[in-house]
Amino acid sequence: MDRRTFLTYNAVAAAVPLSGAMMTGIAQAASAAARPAPIDFKSNLPAKGSFPEKWICGSSSCMDNTDPPVQVHWYNPHTAILRQNKAYSYEAPFAPLYFGNDRVLLLDEGFTQLRNEWDLRGVVDQCINEWCARNGRDPASLELLVAYSHLHGDHYMAVNQFADRPNTRYMGQTHEEMVGFWGMTNFPEERVTLDLGGRDILIWGSPGHVVSEFAYYDSYTQILYTGDMFYRGRCYISFWQPWFDSMKRLIDFCDTHPVTHVMGCHVEISKDGQDYAYGMTWQPDEAPVEMTVQQLREAFAHAQKITEPGIYFTGTVFLCNQTRGTTTIDRNPYRYG
Amino acid sequence: MAQSSTKKPSSTGASQSAAARTYPNGNPDLDYNPVGVRNTDSAVPLHRKKAVVHDYACDGAAPGNLAFRWIFGSNVAATNRDPRVQVVQYNEDSFILRQNVCAHWEAPFTYLLFGNKGALLIDSGATADAQHYPLRETVDAIITRWGQARGRSKVPLTVALTSGEDIAQNQGLVQFAGRPDTMIVPKPLEVMKRFYGLGSSWPGGTGKIDLGDRVIEVIPTPGTHKDGVSFYDPYCDFLFTGDLLFPGKINISNDGDFVASLERLKDFATRQPVKWIMGGHIEMMFVPGKYYRRFVNYKPYERVLEMEPALIDEALQYAREVQGKDMMLIRPDFALFNGVSPDQRTRVWPEGVPNITPPFHF
Repeated sequence: MDRRTFLTYNAVAAAVPLSGAMMTGIAQAASAAARPAPIDFKSNLPAKGSFPEKWICGSSSCMDNTDPPVQVHWYNPHTAILRQNKAYSYEAPFAPLYFGNDRVLLLDEGFTQLRNEWDLRGVVDQCINEWCARNGRDPASLELLVAYSHLHGDHYMAVNQFADRPNTRYMGQTHEEMVGFWGMTNFPEERVTLDLGGRDILIWGSPGHVVSEFAYYDSYTQILYTGDMFYRGRCYISFWQPWFDSMKRLIDFCDTHPVTHVMGCHVEISKDGQDYAYGMTWQPDEAPVEMTVQQLREAFAHAQKITEPGIYFTGTVFLCNQTRGTTTIDRNPYRYG
Repeated sequence: MAQSSTKKPSSTGASQSAAARTYPNGNPDLDYNPVGVRNTDSAVPLHRKKAVVHDYACDGAAPGNLAFRWIFGSNVAATNRDPRVQVVQYNEDSFILRQNVCAHWEAPFTYLLFGNKGALLIDSGATADAQHYPLRETVDAIITRWGQARGRSKVPLTVALTSGEDIAQNQGLVQFAGRPDTMIVPKPLEVMKRFYGLGSSWPGGTGKIDLGDRVIEVIPTPGTHKDGVSFYDPYCDFLFTGDLLFPGKINISNDGDFVASLERLKDFATRQPVKWIMGGHIEMMFVPGKYYRRFVNYKPYERVLEMEPALIDEALQYAREVQGKDMMLIRPDFALFNGVSPDQRTRVWPEGVPNITPPFHF
């Protein structure tokens, strides 16, 4: 198996033998013996957790920003949510970090490339170390999976920071490698289950913003992570019908599964529904990142009425139907008659 | 021109011979002096007894130098450690100040001009907080040093804006509140008109700000802002146009006024020599027709600030083209946005202009 094949090797399939056959190694048997009892991720669901009152959201003068480059918020003891500081990149994406008994899943990254600009890898390592210290684990025994919701720079650009990290696998950067990473043969309808070690992540295709995008559902916190396909801001819909079908899949999923929060990758809107224009580095009054299932349903109901390209406000998000290359929401404030 | 070939051991460089000492600071006609030295007597005497009175009359534009490139921010804005205000001295009596791109993405230019009776600050930057953008402190320091060189303890300051309503240029104004010997041009349009003596003629006529032998002319130029004015400096032959005409994305707020103002500027430029048009911002790149979007804190490919006066004609021609239409139009040195979002994009590329995409600098 060459490196490229290894890196993109089906993560779901790999999850099965790891607990059985591969445990026969002496070293692993020893470490398994030292392990404390596995954490139970299957009862008392949904696991309680909370989002912060207010995220770090940039500053009026970027060079005077003294906040950390990435805010680490522990939603609960087994779930961290990372958010990039707006003064480090206007994209300021969110990146959940899900811990299981055997492996850790990092979903998305920040808009950064070099570790000396800001060290995402260091932050992730620190989170893993903290979690391991709390739970009596050896960080080296945990596998890290680095995956993206989709292939845009603010979601995958930091991947090279993980290239030399031991016990780490990351998604490839083609459609085939991404789909192959989750072992899907029927994208986007097929729903697969990733076992983090007692903690199941459900994954299925969610195209529309781009062709290759996934939705991730964590069965422990019951957070539905919708990437850039549906988030609190301007949902740039490049392909309407696939997006609409993806929304339908999300709604169908919510009909059959309990969902506590719907969470996107960005926030570009204020609490009172004002648009923060593309590229802004200060969002002093930004809306929370988490949305309710009801808000998702409202957006879908609104989307059913849309027939033309254009920008539509659903009360929660802006649906920018095929308008990305041509226009945005705001106006020249100085216009006079 | 010939210099004496006999050198005394005590010679210190400039001709020290008692007979030749008609020039206390050296003969400006000597070969090694740059051409500007001959156009102006701006060298300050070594042993002055009283305040220096400068002769602002010169043949052509006063010489000056924009030899530095502008500080252009950094990829990670939070880690930028450049000066918050970049000061470039164009000549002894003209300073160009620029706000750090990472302190505010608009990175506005502010101009400080001196005359025999006072100084003029044109525009005031995009940030009110003096901790983040110490404009007042910087201006005070320049004025103090200039005053020391000229033997003046008091240099009255006038602060004028190319547009009172433009929050990318009026925010620093609060730092000058209560400053002694300071006149701030009042902001509301009606009051400002009266201040410049344009109450009845606006938008016709011109006002004056007399700095002492250097009379800055005030030309009403609404169009991008309803209270927009431009300033003409007859010493450097600069036209300070603020948001009306600058190498960037020009957001037209009233196309009729915009065209009329450009016509007025064109007419003005035929009567008075204009060397450069100095705008309030830079948004274009050094490749033609490409520009930075809004909110960018890192602009390494910026175009130069100064614009040739011929660009007034070009701007006027294309302003007429977009007049009455909601559209944007790209030109090599500027882009016009009329009635559309400031983030509007277009796939229409101007004919005959090379379409060069510079490498992306991440």
